[in-house]
Amino acid sequence: MSENGALLSIKGLSVSFFTEEGVVKAVQEVSFSIKKGETFALVGESGCGKSVTALSIMRLVPEPPGEIVGGKIMFGGQDLLELSERQMRNIRGNRIAMIFQEPMTSLNPVYTVGSQIAEAVGLHQKKGQSEADAKTVEMLRKVGIGDAEKRANDYPHQMSGGMQQRIMIAMAVSCEPQLLIADEPTTALDVTIQAQILDLLDVLQEQSGMSILLITHNLGIVAERADDVAVMYASRIVEVAESRSLFAEPLHPYTQGLLKSLPRLGFSGRRLPTIAGIVPEPLHFPSGCKFHPRCPIGCNDKKCRNIEPRLKEVRPSRWVACWYAPGYEKD
Amino acid sequence: MTKPNQQHKEWGTSYGEMVWHEFTRSKFVVIWLGFIILLFLLAIFAPFLANDKPFVIKIDGRQHYPIFRNLNAADYSIFLAATVGLIQILLICRNHRRIDPSIRSSVLWRQVFIDTLIIIIGITLLYVFTPRRLDATDYKSMVASGKASGAVFAPVPYGYGRTDLKVREQPPNKQHWLGTDDVGSDVLCRLIHGSRISLSVGFVAVGISSIIGIIIGAILGYSGGKADFFGMRLVEIMMAVPVFFLIITIVAFFPRSLFNIMLIIGLTTWTEDARFVRAEFLKLRRQDFVQAAVSLGLPLRSILFGHMLPNAIAPVLVNATFGIAGAIFIEAALSFLGFGVAPPTPSWGQMLSLGVSTTGRFLWWLTLFPGLAIFFTVLAYNLVGEALRDAIDPRLRKAV
Repeated sequence: MSENGALLSIKGLSVSFFTEEGVVKAVQEVSFSIKKGETFALVGESGCGKSVTALSIMRLVPEPPGEIVGGKIMFGGQDLLELSERQMRNIRGNRIAMIFQEPMTSLNPVYTVGSQIAEAVGLHQKKGQSEADAKTVEMLRKVGIGDAEKRANDYPHQMSGGMQQRIMIAMAVSCEPQLLIADEPTTALDVTIQAQILDLLDVLQEQSGMSILLITHNLGIVAERADDVAVMYASRIVEVAESRSLFAEPLHPYTQGLLKSLPRLGFSGRRLPTIAGIVPEPLHFPSGCKFHPRCPIGCNDKKCRNIEPRLKEVRPSRWVACWYAPGYEKD
Repeated sequence: MTKPNQQHKEWGTSYGEMVWHEFTRSKFVVIWLGFIILLFLLAIFAPFLANDKPFVIKIDGRQHYPIFRNLNAADYSIFLAATVGLIQILLICRNHRRIDPSIRSSVLWRQVFIDTLIIIIGITLLYVFTPRRLDATDYKSMVASGKASGAVFAPVPYGYGRTDLKVREQPPNKQHWLGTDDVGSDVLCRLIHGSRISLSVGFVAVGISSIIGIIIGAILGYSGGKADFFGMRLVEIMMAVPVFFLIITIVAFFPRSLFNIMLIIGLTTWTEDARFVRAEFLKLRRQDFVQAAVSLGLPLRSILFGHMLPNAIAPVLVNATFGIAGAIFIEAALSFLGFGVAPPTPSWGQMLSLGVSTTGRFLWWLTLFPGLAIFFTVLAYNLVGEALRDAIDPRLRKAV
């Protein structure tokens, strides 16, 4: 990961939630950077901290109970964590936009979809009503909504889930952001619609040259769409690599386990391999490497049990956090 | 509509239409709504229904129109507000057929804004430019003595401020259908004019309390955390104070005027609204669409009042109907205790208090009729409010 040409770089981001049961360290020392125009995928199981990372970039972590306890999020030469709320408001929607998981609940039920897009356009691009309306229709056309003038006057409940997600995308990209955060944009949709939505994101990216942070738990999507991948496990990033090399040669045992448990064409008969054990509870993370209780190598290793490995560059643009990864310096 | 409107069909059923349909399902409720409309008409046309001046009269061979000459600024203001209101209702119906749903709400807001502007400017101008007339001519005696002829009087030919000690404390009879009070004023006339006070107190007080309640509730609900905790404790302290006694205490320090009473009722009864709005906002603030609005960088004002409030307004509207009933009741109670509007301005509660005369006689007609008026008005608002609540609640709505 080179620093040059990075649009967004996160360094040592830690986010904790102070709950009554104790401190939940949802994100710990997460670092990665996203280059201009690339699609960066953040993969991991539910609850591993992907969404919290995304919300931190937007500074939308609910406070309290959440708090960003450390790190830097450098975007366009400034640390987003040090901006005032007013400056942040100028960045949200304008330079960084976000698409949410559930299109059905992400649109305001009492306004027509057109007026919701037009509001954002009018605000950030300082456009008048008629100009904003024209831009809205243009955006709706861009995201592939037929009869855009008419559909702009529809309420969210009159549209299907796939169309609602298109609307969300139209709203997010209407102000031509440099970075689009897509938080599991296709989880709530049918598989056929998923492909359409992802194709749409690709097309829009090509047209505008924006970067996309794609958060997903679907490795298939990652293999097809992402340029770079970061794998998260239990609040930490365990591996960062170019998508192709990650799938060719996973270095971290967790990534290896994930890839092994994918069904393959022509694979038949036997049960799919799984990763043994369960995801640790965020309140009671295991000591040392968080993956060690489930790891085929680390479960009996003293070092894995006691000392947490840090993310290190083992070869050009390959970062991994495992004591036994090839090339990992054991200090 | 003579021809079916094609576009109307395509637009589908709006939320407003759905609620209206559900609301009017019960004929019982429609009757009570009709009763409220009737009260409004009574209040608006009070000077034409009960007035001691004739519409037309011929004195010395010349036509005079005393009622119209003697309308004061308050009457003109009410006519202006009623006309604007009526036009607005017609406009809403027209909007429904002609204007595209996406801009309908913004059009409505613009219209309401213009209406408010017209009413405020109009009332100010009316109060500045309407000459104050004090026409104390006794037209009836002129007719009786033959000085004037061709007089056409209102259905209730008495003024609410007219006193006539010859006919004081009379039970209902042919001249005074509902009797007279301690200074000989006609009870029916005072009842009709009193409806103005009741209705205006209800609407203005509830308007004030709703605005305060919405703002406080919205801020507390959206901010959450410590602000919400301490804010709600303050609201609860407000709620723990018996409002009625608080109002009596405050009223005692201020001059007896209708506006003061409206203001004080409004300033002390906002706690319910604040609680409703806060509860709705707590629920809404973690909703995805609010998060999406924040992630689009919209300003706080737009998020609170543009995106969240329309989703939280239903309980406020329902509470407002109950609030109107409550405010009418409080005003009646204050007037009954002598803290209300000062005579000769008529108010139902004040009339009620005259039911026991200074000589200790029980004047039943002075208790019964204003009492019934208060009872039915409060009942009507409560029933309508309840029906509105049921119509708005989607869990109770049957599949359409």
